[in-house]
Amino acid sequence: MPKAYKDLAGDGGSDVIGQVSELTARLQARMRTVRAKIAVVSGKGGVGKSALTVNLATAMALDGARIGVLDADLNGPSIAKMTGVRGQPLKITAEGVHPVQGPAALRIMSMDLLLPRDDTPVIWRAPSQAESYIWRSSMEATALREFLSDTVWGDLDVLWLDLPPGSDRIATLAGLLPGLTGMVLVTIPAEVSHLVVRKSLALARDLEVPVLGLIENMAGYYCRTCQTIGELFRSGQGAALASDFGIPYLGSLPFDPQLACSGDSGIPFVAMHQESPVGQTLQKMARQLMGEIRGQGVRNPQRGTI
Amino acid sequence: MRFLCLSCDEGMKLETAAGPQDGSLQATFICPRCHYRFRMLTNPWETQLVQTLGVKIGGRAGPANPYEQILGSLAVSQAEQSAQKAEESASSTCPFADMFGQPEETGSVEGVHWSDEARARIERIPSFIRPMVQRAIERYATEQGRRMITAAVMDEARTRLGM
Repeated sequence: MPKAYKDLAGDGGSDVIGQVSELTARLQARMRTVRAKIAVVSGKGGVGKSALTVNLATAMALDGARIGVLDADLNGPSIAKMTGVRGQPLKITAEGVHPVQGPAALRIMSMDLLLPRDDTPVIWRAPSQAESYIWRSSMEATALREFLSDTVWGDLDVLWLDLPPGSDRIATLAGLLPGLTGMVLVTIPAEVSHLVVRKSLALARDLEVPVLGLIENMAGYYCRTCQTIGELFRSGQGAALASDFGIPYLGSLPFDPQLACSGDSGIPFVAMHQESPVGQTLQKMARQLMGEIRGQGVRNPQRGTI
Repeated sequence: MRFLCLSCDEGMKLETAAGPQDGSLQATFICPRCHYRFRMLTNPWETQLVQTLGVKIGGRAGPANPYEQILGSLAVSQAEQSAQKAEESASSTCPFADMFGQPEETGSVEGVHWSDEARARIERIPSFIRPMVQRAIERYATEQGRRMITAAVMDEARTRLGM
């Protein structure tokens, strides 16, 4: 009887398993100097995930933490713009590709820094572009792995990952990065958003990805003239949602036009408005998260203290 | 995937590998016992599958280069190709070569001056954010065709840029 696959030792010469193991080892080695990895997730798009990522990361950096930000939204990168680093050339050394330095010494990496022009889309090579959708998901996962493993992050207290919308991204990241400290979920006070966030929470639970907290963004409208918060959506449901899933509720933020504009200026809102109500809320959230990471603060009901 | 020599019932060994060229990888296999050889040629989809996994047929001589898959797999759009030709920037074969280099100077924009009052105000901004604010205001002033940054220009920039 001729031999079967299982009877043959090795893979004939390419050592594919060895190559994959080497890639995994490379990622693990790079992440060894990164104390915590936090993914910002929403499920639904347009809820202010990237703006919150930038501001929470900056708030932590202002408190003296060493912070990196990886823009994991490969097709719609915005972190480089929001931190004013667009157009900065990248430096390659034997160690890898060095992140660019943003405000408050944030170490930033984004696909945006690799694209030659404003209107350059992210297109992956494929036998034909009509069939490129077949490979897109795998290529994006490979690209994310390379951004994590080939970027010279150095010693970091926290690496923030700004994920694109979609619950499925949690599964991809959890598979790539088993050492993921946890995720922060962002929602807005609208049932359409809560509906998708529930799916993300259920998936996180199944994948055993710790949820560090839920933020309800755009909970009202902050008027700078009269310094009051007006109704925008029907707010107040975020806390109930967090309670349903037994996860920490980090709080709510009103829509502040100045925060929205700061994204275009490249200067994080929290760096310029630390004393404003929204600035203070952002700092409070950042400190609560840091407390969770350090195991000194809020207990994570899903997984216990980190 | 493994190949079995039917005459010897031995697993074939990879002898050489080359490519991808024209969307195809070439791998030559040999039977370690009878030395029978054959060459496998992958079709474009098989080639893509191997590349997407980030592995090399025949194994690697050394570790992968940083961002090897990202830079090797990003395609250039037709619009981008046209723009590159228009600028005659085809001196580099890599369309992303310009993205790597020395960091840009973080100093002031050339030809833009600050009034004493504006200078005093910018000095009051915390140092960790000051260079970025300074550049943002200088960029704004340049876009507005201004060469002198006054307190009024600063206020205008802060309002427009949401600072």
